[in-house]
Amino acid sequence: MKNILHVKLLLKITQEYVNSHFTFVFSLLFSLLFLAYSYNFSTHSWRPVVLLFFVIYAITTAYVAFVNLRLKNDLAKFGEIQRSTRIFGYPLLLTVLSGNIFSTSFAFMLVAKRRTAEYTFAAYAFITQLFIIGIAALNLFKPYVTDTFLIAMGVFLVLALVYIVMTILCIKFVTPTEAPKWMLIPGILLLLASFTGNLFATLLGYSLIQKARQANPSSIEKWQKIWEKILRNTMAVFGLFFVILMFSLSVTSTWTFDYDFATENNYGALLQTPSLEYPLGTDNYGRDLFSRIVFGARISLIVGFFSTIIPALVGGALGAFSGYYGKTTDNVIMRSLDILYAIPGILLAIAIIAAFGANTVNLIIALSVGAIPTYARTMRANVMQLANYEFVESARALGASDAAIIFKHIVPNSLAPMIVKATLTIGGAVISTSSLSFLGLGIEPHIPEWGNILKVGSTYLETHSYVAIFPGLCIMLLVLSFNFLGDGLRDALDPKTN
Amino acid sequence: MVTSKNHLKSKEFTFFSMIYQKLMHQKPYKMILFLLSVLVHPFTYFIYWKRKHLNTYDQAFELRSQHYMENDLFAQWQQSFEQQEIAKSTFFKEAVSSSQIQQLANQLANRKLQQQVDQDLQKEGIQQLTYEQFFNQQLKNKRFVALTFLPAVLFYVVLILFANPFLQFIIERILQSFIVIVGVATLVFTILYLSPFDPARNLLGVEATPEQIANFNRIHGLDLPYLSQLWHSLSGLFTFDLGTSFAGKEDITHSIANKFPVTLEIAVLSLLMAVAIAIPVGIISAVRPNSYLDYTFMFIALIGLSIPSFWQGLIFILTFALKLQWFPATYNPQNWLSLIMPIIVLGTSITASIARMTRSSMLEVIHEDYIITAKAKGLNEFKVISKHAIRNAMIPIITVIGLLFGGMLGGASVTEKVFNISGIGSYIVDKQFIPDIPAILGGVVYIAITISIVNLLIDIMYAFFDPRIRSKMKKS
Repeated sequence: MKNILHVKLLLKITQEYVNSHFTFVFSLLFSLLFLAYSYNFSTHSWRPVVLLFFVIYAITTAYVAFVNLRLKNDLAKFGEIQRSTRIFGYPLLLTVLSGNIFSTSFAFMLVAKRRTAEYTFAAYAFITQLFIIGIAALNLFKPYVTDTFLIAMGVFLVLALVYIVMTILCIKFVTPTEAPKWMLIPGILLLLASFTGNLFATLLGYSLIQKARQANPSSIEKWQKIWEKILRNTMAVFGLFFVILMFSLSVTSTWTFDYDFATENNYGALLQTPSLEYPLGTDNYGRDLFSRIVFGARISLIVGFFSTIIPALVGGALGAFSGYYGKTTDNVIMRSLDILYAIPGILLAIAIIAAFGANTVNLIIALSVGAIPTYARTMRANVMQLANYEFVESARALGASDAAIIFKHIVPNSLAPMIVKATLTIGGAVISTSSLSFLGLGIEPHIPEWGNILKVGSTYLETHSYVAIFPGLCIMLLVLSFNFLGDGLRDALDPKTN
Repeated sequence: MVTSKNHLKSKEFTFFSMIYQKLMHQKPYKMILFLLSVLVHPFTYFIYWKRKHLNTYDQAFELRSQHYMENDLFAQWQQSFEQQEIAKSTFFKEAVSSSQIQQLANQLANRKLQQQVDQDLQKEGIQQLTYEQFFNQQLKNKRFVALTFLPAVLFYVVLILFANPFLQFIIERILQSFIVIVGVATLVFTILYLSPFDPARNLLGVEATPEQIANFNRIHGLDLPYLSQLWHSLSGLFTFDLGTSFAGKEDITHSIANKFPVTLEIAVLSLLMAVAIAIPVGIISAVRPNSYLDYTFMFIALIGLSIPSFWQGLIFILTFALKLQWFPATYNPQNWLSLIMPIIVLGTSITASIARMTRSSMLEVIHEDYIITAKAKGLNEFKVISKHAIRNAMIPIITVIGLLFGGMLGGASVTEKVFNISGIGSYIVDKQFIPDIPAILGGVVYIAITISIVNLLIDIMYAFFDPRIRSKMKKS
């Protein structure tokens, strides 16, 4: 009896086992989706490409189920995962070619016994890079590519190679507390690689440099602990992965995608269904939907980022002053913010845009203004709590000015809830942006933006539904990713759960 | 018989002074009460001033201090303070002259004397009143109240109203909402006033003559200064007379009154659907945390939170209206089937939010000690959850529902546009291209008012139902 309980607990806390379950469920779901989509019910015919994907995913699912059973056996018999089982992870690495991110990340987890945060960063940097190469490679079927396409692809391939080498080096040399001195060089190189938008490389570089310099051990431990908690949450990692993929894609699209395909009318190819040349079809002006969606990610991320950071700064400052000084200051600030809080965000945005016109800058301002009160409230509650702590009192006793106390002592300690809140509201900002564009109140209609594409799609809903389906899926995935990431951050940073 | 009557009298007469004392702690009330009783004050102040100069207090004070001086107590104090100061200066190794020490000791002793005498006098019932205290004492006097009741009738009405903590809370809350609503109206009007667009130019076209434009501006009062336009709009909002719209010459209040019920109907039905689905889902998830069911529900909830409502609407139209033909694609007031899709679309994100909130709130409650007690008592799980957990978990959920309802009314414009519903949201969107200032102002402010009223009702409901808030209010 005791033994059974012990095994059950072991299964629960073994990340590999939990993850294999998870991978199995998602691979199964995707293979079923592919199966459903592989048969065309209106023409009663099979779609061979989709069917092939179904077969690959089904095989992956079966393989993962097999590994899952082996893991269970190992844990029941030996109490730990055997080397012979870990070897089964290597073939699974190949599933990255089918785009199955779940099984790939599971494979990376399975093959390494001792995983540091750096290892995970390196692995994900590699996966991200491969996805970017794969997505950009679809441009090869276009009549022409940009001048920088070949160079960029070459650089990406080299980077992918670097990341896989880093993965191996991380297993060999990096421990949870330190890294050898020479890791400083790859660390700096990796920071340079973040110009391609691959933020996993940035994270990897930053933490390698920190460890190689043997800086403050407590800050290394803190950093390591937080990331350990975030990386343990599988969905949060996938959220982070998708967000970084989208970001990197919108950074690199300048070199690999031709903006003309997204904006120039092409009357020879109106409303084409998806094909190799136009992977997601074309719209009513013959513009390539795939390129439009890729370039649309940029706008969504920019607007989402700025309409989160501006209210976070303004609302954070107001909330900090209000919470620190209290009394009349608090009353004046919070009562005036109550007025803003009483108007639903999107209505306020509509009113502001009605007054000042629809363009990107106005949209960012309009969305920002409505979000100020919530940030101010979060910050105020934090500051009020922190202002009573001893370290604040001691800072005051040492003669620190109010501004120094607020910005050096209180604000850094109350950042965690603000970061969580910001991550969770970026998703809302992305939805609001596309909603307003859909109403004709957001981004100018000629700019490829997801809401604008959907607006066009809504008029061709009956005949060419794909124009409306794909951009919507992208919005949903991006928002979902931010929400998962936000949930993960909250679980990792929330002092309540610590 | 006589004593009981007396007792009753004294009780009644502390009534006004007690409330008065309570309210004077807050600055705004101090102002209001003073203003309301302004007619009485010259008269009472005159009496106060006269009595003060009778000097009973000063005489008693003098007598008492002399008593202390004569008994040598004062000298003793002085000595002990002197010793204290010397000890202090030697400890800190400070060079202080003896005259300085003596001076300091003298000061301290004097202060002590004052305090002592004050205390003694208070015990005997002699004290120097401030005007406020004096006024407060007068309120205990039946004759004073009878005399001043007419000139300060509003003052007494306020005191009577605020005698009840619930009533005080409700009045304060209503006032607060009113101020917020006026603020909202001012803010929205200011935003629209600052607009660089010229409605006259947009409506009359580029070829309009300056006279035509001036005429248009005069008719709609657009040539007036900011403050008079603002006053005009505010009074229009509260008297339900916003004039006619710039385009089409329709009566704005009338069209808003026509469109508002449509939006409200859909919003309320969505809310009901959300509550009916989300609360059971949240409870099930919380009761079996980290199970497959929990993961599935929360995953679906997160998808519901992440799906853009207009896209969801389009997909619903594509699937259920165009392909399957179960429901009509656009809204039609005569056909209740056409309501179903908008209700689901509008309610999706709020359902997801409520489900997540219910789960976390329930999880928090389930680990409380009283739940363990209930289980230890031998209650079955169903009873523990339904009788003990849910009731406490509901409190934060209801607040969130109130807040989300506001967001839903705001977000209704998108759903209304997708399903072609002529509600208030799509009305505002249609009017913003001109921009039709009174129409947008009316639409936005009336929605804000509705939201404020809903939140007001929820807050008041709490005050009645939550025993914790009730007892807190009574204590204060």
